[in-house]
Amino acid sequence: MRFAFTDDQLGFRDSLRDMLANECPPGALRACWTNDTGRVPGLWRKLGDLGLLGISASEEQGGLGLAEVDMVLPLEEAGRAALPEPLVEHAAVAIPIVEAFAPAVLRERWVPRAVTGEVTLTIALDDAPFVLGADSADLVLVWSGGALRAVERSELTLARCRSVDGARRLFSIVSGMGGGESICDGERAIEAARDALDRGALAAAAQLLGLGAAVLDLTVGYVKVREQFGKPIGSFQAIKHHLANALTALEMARPLVYRAAASMAARDASRSIHVSIAKARASTAAQQVARIALQCHGAIGYSTEYDLHLWMKRIWALAAAWGDPARHRARIAAAVLEGEGQVYP
Amino acid sequence: MKIAVIIKQTPDTETVVKINDAGNDIVGTGVKYVMSPYCEFAVEEALRTKEKLGGEVVVVSLGPDRVLETIRTALAMGCDRAIHLKDPAYEGGDGQATAKALAAALKTVSPDIVFAGKQAIDGDQSQVAVRVAELAGLAQATIVTALEIAADGKTAKATRRSEGGGEVVELKLPALISCEKGLNEPRYASLPGIMKAKKKEVKELKPAELGLEGQVGAAGAKAKRVKLLPLAERKAGRRIEAETPEAAAAELVRLLREEAKVL
Repeated sequence: MRFAFTDDQLGFRDSLRDMLANECPPGALRACWTNDTGRVPGLWRKLGDLGLLGISASEEQGGLGLAEVDMVLPLEEAGRAALPEPLVEHAAVAIPIVEAFAPAVLRERWVPRAVTGEVTLTIALDDAPFVLGADSADLVLVWSGGALRAVERSELTLARCRSVDGARRLFSIVSGMGGGESICDGERAIEAARDALDRGALAAAAQLLGLGAAVLDLTVGYVKVREQFGKPIGSFQAIKHHLANALTALEMARPLVYRAAASMAARDASRSIHVSIAKARASTAAQQVARIALQCHGAIGYSTEYDLHLWMKRIWALAAAWGDPARHRARIAAAVLEGEGQVYP
Repeated sequence: MKIAVIIKQTPDTETVVKINDAGNDIVGTGVKYVMSPYCEFAVEEALRTKEKLGGEVVVVSLGPDRVLETIRTALAMGCDRAIHLKDPAYEGGDGQATAKALAAALKTVSPDIVFAGKQAIDGDQSQVAVRVAELAGLAQATIVTALEIAADGKTAKATRRSEGGGEVVELKLPALISCEKGLNEPRYASLPGIMKAKKKEVKELKPAELGLEGQVGAAGAKAKRVKLLPLAERKAGRRIEAETPEAAAAELVRLLREEAKVL
């Protein structure tokens, strides 16, 4: 099988990269650590105008009806910019889950407005303790009593929880989970939860690739100008080896993420395993890049005035979100030992 | 309303360019090409004009195969169709030869209004737009920062930037507007726009089809670039050593006054 991105996919990646470089620079990201929403004012609607929020929504609901393969490069770009918006929860998970599992009346009420960015959706899975961006969301998909429900934010009581990444506003739901309307229950709900985990893990893996690439670029730029012993530290072999290891880790993870996206798009029977392989490797690769970046930067890397920590802390947060490497390795191990699905090739 | 927009592909401002061995051009390999930023303002204004008054936006550009990528970007932003002046005979032209080809191509469109960048960021000559207007017999307003087109599409009022101030001019259409930063905020190509762009028409026109054989490119040029001069290397900065901040400031003032002569 030959796998390559189309000109359209590459063109949209470039357009989004330009847009985020202008609309979500480090200063805007930094402001999200302290503002009231954790989001960049006005950016969500612009992402809707660009078509990003509706990539995976059906054309009948105003989306583009595209697949995970079309979403993976934009998600990498979102990671590169450390975009502080609930893109994974809204566009990569909640919209496709509502489309696939919710009754028509719910789909028609929420998806067209979600595609434009008029409303924001987020999701709380049963085994995830926190909900990202619940305070600024309009609708929260929650797991309650063996069913997946769509609950409006106003019906929920939320409690803020601290994240290592100040731009990620996390909440636990104190009450109200049984309200709203049912999306599905029983076996369908279990299927929906598994699909949501696969979608979220894949999207987080793609963002981790972009985050890792951005951190590596920042570090390469730094070691070219930081001098010690009369020359740039990037000229020393110890630094070069570190950076080569970081690049290799990312490049080894990248095709696994693309493979998982292709498996999800094709509804491959082994897609969950491919997603777990991708998420485990992307998480460890990005964490390795973050560790190397911190070491190559030295003291300034620990400074909150310098931008590195904004990206590094997102890596730490996303590596743990949607299943940490241990959880995904356990899924892979179960597949290998119990023959659940095809792991390789 | 028939709207045309002239665009140019130029090296990205962040690209590090090298001068070739002959010393008269840049080395093209490894260079990232983009739409000249002032042309982005022109495309945006053309699209806003269409959104307000209706009609069609036609992109016109001259250059080799690689220019098609920039044309597609304009189509992805929302332009309707394009004319690509692509032929080896167009290469090596000066501002006049290029303007002659573009003006002839515009004639096939019969636009009510033409938008262009105030200059391209590679040659920085600011010649092509004004020459096109002259050759095509269009009214023109250059370095425009604000534009109002009358609802009947017959006249326009343009605010021009000039050194230390500005002026407002009224124009009878058809006219050419050369666009300056501040006129608008160019949109980004959306995913639906990118998907639609590849189905839009890009018509190639050769010099013979414009009746310009032997009059464009190097053959039609009256001026020829013979040498490119690299920027002078910046001198290293000087560190002022002094016992106290006051003494350092005094020394800085003395240097600015006596050596740099800026005070």
